[in-house]
Amino acid sequence: MRIGDIVGADNVSTTHETCMIYSKDVTSLPDIAYQIVSPKFDVVTQPVDVLSLQNLVWYARDNKIPLVPRGNGTSGWGGSIPTRGGICVSLSKMSAILYFNEFEQAVTVETGITWRDLLSFLERLGFTLPVYPSSATAATVGGFIASGGLGIGSTRHGDILKQVLGIEAILPNGKIVRLGKVLLDPNSDYIQEKVEKGNEWLCQELSDAGFGTPEQETKLITGTYGTLGIITKVTLKTIPNLQLVPFACTFDSMRDLVNAATRIISDVQPYFLRFLADNYTSKLRALDGIELESGKYVLTGALLDTIYQNEDNVEIIQAYTTEANGIRLDDNRAWFYWNERLYPLRIKRHGPSLVPAEMLAPLKMLPDILEETKAELRKSKVAIEGTLSNDGNTSFMVWILDDERKSLSFTVGWQRSFRIAALAERFGGLPYAVGLWNSRHGEKYYGSQSFQKLKIMKKRFDPENLMNPMKVFGGRVTAGRESMTIGFLVGFSIVLSASWIGPRLFGWSWLIQLLNSNILVLIPIPISLVISLLGGIAGILVIRLMTLNQALSIGIPILRVLSKILGR
Amino acid sequence: MDFLQRYGQEDEPYVCASCGNCTLVCPVFRDLKWESYGPRGKLHIVKSIIEGEGVFGEDFANKIFLCNLCEHCTSVCTTGISLDRFWEFTRAEVRDRGLLPEPAKFVLDSVKSKGDIMWMGSADRLLWMEDIEESVKNRVLKQAKVAYFLGCNVSLKSQLHDVARSMVKIMEHADVDYTLLADKETCCGAPLGWAGNFEGINEMAEKNLEVIRNLGVETVVFSCPSCIHTWSEYSMYLQEENGLELLTTSQFINRLIREGRLKFEEQPMVTVTYHDPCIAARVLKATEEPREIIEDIPGIYKVEMTPSRQNTRCCGAHGLLNVVDPVLSSRIAEMRLRDATVTPASRIITECPRCILAFDLAKFTTGYDMKVQDITQIVANSLLPKDSRGVNGQ
Repeated sequence: MRIGDIVGADNVSTTHETCMIYSKDVTSLPDIAYQIVSPKFDVVTQPVDVLSLQNLVWYARDNKIPLVPRGNGTSGWGGSIPTRGGICVSLSKMSAILYFNEFEQAVTVETGITWRDLLSFLERLGFTLPVYPSSATAATVGGFIASGGLGIGSTRHGDILKQVLGIEAILPNGKIVRLGKVLLDPNSDYIQEKVEKGNEWLCQELSDAGFGTPEQETKLITGTYGTLGIITKVTLKTIPNLQLVPFACTFDSMRDLVNAATRIISDVQPYFLRFLADNYTSKLRALDGIELESGKYVLTGALLDTIYQNEDNVEIIQAYTTEANGIRLDDNRAWFYWNERLYPLRIKRHGPSLVPAEMLAPLKMLPDILEETKAELRKSKVAIEGTLSNDGNTSFMVWILDDERKSLSFTVGWQRSFRIAALAERFGGLPYAVGLWNSRHGEKYYGSQSFQKLKIMKKRFDPENLMNPMKVFGGRVTAGRESMTIGFLVGFSIVLSASWIGPRLFGWSWLIQLLNSNILVLIPIPISLVISLLGGIAGILVIRLMTLNQALSIGIPILRVLSKILGR
Repeated sequence: MDFLQRYGQEDEPYVCASCGNCTLVCPVFRDLKWESYGPRGKLHIVKSIIEGEGVFGEDFANKIFLCNLCEHCTSVCTTGISLDRFWEFTRAEVRDRGLLPEPAKFVLDSVKSKGDIMWMGSADRLLWMEDIEESVKNRVLKQAKVAYFLGCNVSLKSQLHDVARSMVKIMEHADVDYTLLADKETCCGAPLGWAGNFEGINEMAEKNLEVIRNLGVETVVFSCPSCIHTWSEYSMYLQEENGLELLTTSQFINRLIREGRLKFEEQPMVTVTYHDPCIAARVLKATEEPREIIEDIPGIYKVEMTPSRQNTRCCGAHGLLNVVDPVLSSRIAEMRLRDATVTPASRIITECPRCILAFDLAKFTTGYDMKVQDITQIVANSLLPKDSRGVNGQ
């Protein structure tokens, strides 16, 4: 059977261009990255319904082909890029709004819908979403739910996963299951029978593993990048779209900003709060010439509440800002920053490329982290901004501006991203997302117990590791030609030099004689060369058997040394 | 890919943040659903060609022409890339490499040989005057403050002749001192840019501007927003200080209404919706004037389409897509027509001849019963007869 027969001929492409385009996300990777992951998918598919997607999952499992679910590729953590080629499952053709009930304050959608389309649907009905991503203009609901994280609204409502009431997913073995509470009109729920069977099976599996019921275990599939299943439907909380009052304040120092922000979060509970560091605002100015707050620290956000509550809160924000030596900006500027919330990537114009580093860190540590970051990256062009959550944490993004056309320095410069991550960790920070590149932090990110649980279920659901391989859990790298060549050369040289130095060091003349003798009388190849060749082959094997985390543990320090040599 | 340096575009493919905003608003992507037809995907292809992994061949050339140049991607680009200019520069390179699609070659030849996009000729630019010759013959090439520039579509396509007649009726009604270029009018040059021939645009614009300058004109009123855009962007004369004002018909009519020179009579109740032409809305920012005009006509009720104003969707006929791939172009028009059919409106008003033609075609292919009119037509049909305006025009 061909994939076109499963998903429809119009919904599959194997052209070089399409496979290349769907293999990218917002981050430009240095060429060296393709020495450990494959550069592109073999096939791109766009299933239009759950049943054809189920058939595709069965097909992939039977033929041992990796499957990678993809929204619109608007994240930068490698969650939707290929690692071992295989099939890209773009969900953008599954984008229906299936159910909305204002009394239940919930909406159920297919996961290929963009946040923007969902928001404009809800806004027409007087509702909005408690949380949506800053990439809402293009990101899909499924993409953000699969990766998790903070967004617009998180200052009041917490992270996105707290807004998920239930999901439907196709597991790596093809079972369709529903976790949590998926609200649907029973008359249009044409796969109910399949779901019942799937849930029965899942219930047994969870119970065998000592976990809760499917109702309680939504987090197995959300926030895990589709490694445990492809999310096809999601039921999200909605909230009334009350009066929106944006505000913005400037400060001369990060410490003042944090002081004001801490008090505002605790007493006002704004809908959204974001900060822009001095190096970010100074770059905004160069872009549009209207930035009056260049070089200042800006705290900006919005209230989403009743008119009366908003009136009181605006006064409180004004007072806290003044007490922290800040200035509250007028409404025009506040609306400017509110509208800018969806365009954090604007500063890429100064690159033209970006190396991102995003971390979660305690709000109170932010001034110290920022100071250290600036010192660490004093030779680089940097812009820093972040989103404040209601649990005392903040996600902060360090945009390191670079130029990918300068291949060597761009490659070497990538270690700065990992350096900032290490720096933030010293202050109690965590990687903001796991995706592909931070899988070695999985345990810390998810928590030890939860991560163990995920690992157990991954083994049960996907023993062949075909569903979004290498993401979250790491795994064996896909070695590129150059890395295998290096592996061979390293293995070869180690054995060759060892066979020359070793016997001479210990004075084993018999061994020297043996190594110098020919392998066969008629073929004049010395034994030392043959075992060196075997060493080279062993080198290739080591590279091929290397896991992603091992590759990163070796590669990052090498890049760091190179960076020191190049003075970056 | 030296052409990128030549046009100062070498950074742009790398400045792209891959945020995907452009792709989701692209009319071609919305129909074909594959990223390789959307702006983000095309920029990835350009990057791959620069890096030696892709080929600048016929397939890529055809893809570059599957685009409406509707300015939507440019207007939503996070990093401020002028994507439409980028596509035009790439089309110029396609032309230089001899990879132009045949229909685009025809348009270039037609503009060069005949001065229009339809291989007709200057004499045919007088056909629209049939029946109103008496009232307009004294206006042709007359010294006046206002010139009415019809553009190729309105001059040459019979189903659009009523647009020109309506505009004449409005100007006569408001006692505007106007002039017509008639058979001295030639193509504004916009299709040359869309087909990758920038050198010719200034020359075409200059042919028209020379006539206009000799007539002492201060304001030029256009039935086609793309003509204004092209002249503002590429005419060397207009880029210098010259005091020549370029207005869309709605901008001009709205001015006449505010000056009290146009009055309307009560119309039988009609609900209309206004379709913002891409260039008028996103480049010329003329979104409020047509709405103000419609609101001023008693008995006409306006409802909004979603999306509208700067977020309007293309009708599918801009940027030569209607000649390069008429079927795709028509499907895009159908999508936009559906936006109108979900409103209570029974009539679409717009101010771009290309949109009118596209919707007229889409009406046939979809079977939607909806009247499509230019803003000038609804205004001309609603004017209070001069003799009933009273002594002071009241």
